[in-house]
Amino acid sequence: MSESDESVVALSPGVAAVALFGVLAAVVVGAAGGFPEPNGFPADASIVHNLGYALFDIDLGDIPAEGFLAAFLIIAIALDVALDSAVYLAKRETDGTIISALTTGGSEVVDSDVVGSSDGDAADDADRGGDA
Amino acid sequence: MVPVEYYLLLSSAIFCIGLFGVLTRRNALYFLMSVELMLNAANINLIAFSFQWGNLTGQTFALFTIALAAAEVAVGIGIILVLYRNFGDIDVMDAATMRW
Repeated sequence: MSESDESVVALSPGVAAVALFGVLAAVVVGAAGGFPEPNGFPADASIVHNLGYALFDIDLGDIPAEGFLAAFLIIAIALDVALDSAVYLAKRETDGTIISALTTGGSEVVDSDVVGSSDGDAADDADRGGDA
Repeated sequence: MVPVEYYLLLSSAIFCIGLFGVLTRRNALYFLMSVELMLNAANINLIAFSFQWGNLTGQTFALFTIALAAAEVAVGIGIILVLYRNFGDIDVMDAATMRW
């Protein structure tokens, strides 16, 4: 395959995207005038307040909206999962061992680093919540 | 008031720019940016029709889309980090080990 053929193959998906815009634009222009005048929102209503009411499913808003409390909680869990997975992906691993993201660069915690454990007896382990 | 068709045209253009980026770029960061463009095109549609019908459901949905986009970027950047560590580059075509 020659160099010009390769460049044509590389550009063909881009041409598809441009063609899709042509189709979408034709549809939108064809539908022009088919929509009524926008209803808009009441001038004295607070959009932000009403968004809050909709998010927490509180029936106090002036603007009609559905309740989204369940979706709000599910998205919160999804964000938690995304945060955890981002941390998991970003941390380095050595020899297959997962190194906690909360340690100082993955250095091992030794007894002498822990305050009040210089003698290293079992009582001190219990005091600092250790499982020794 | 701006007719809703103009918003539709704008969102179509932004969506197609994002699609163009996804289809033609090989850098994973450009990839992520293009996906963001596509998501924001959807947001423009949601908000335009929210205004059109005088209902806040579309705007609330757009908020959720923004949150999901943030989650997607967090995971995406983690994947890019792993890609760079394993392949020394962020070219999406390099990661071909599991390609069918």
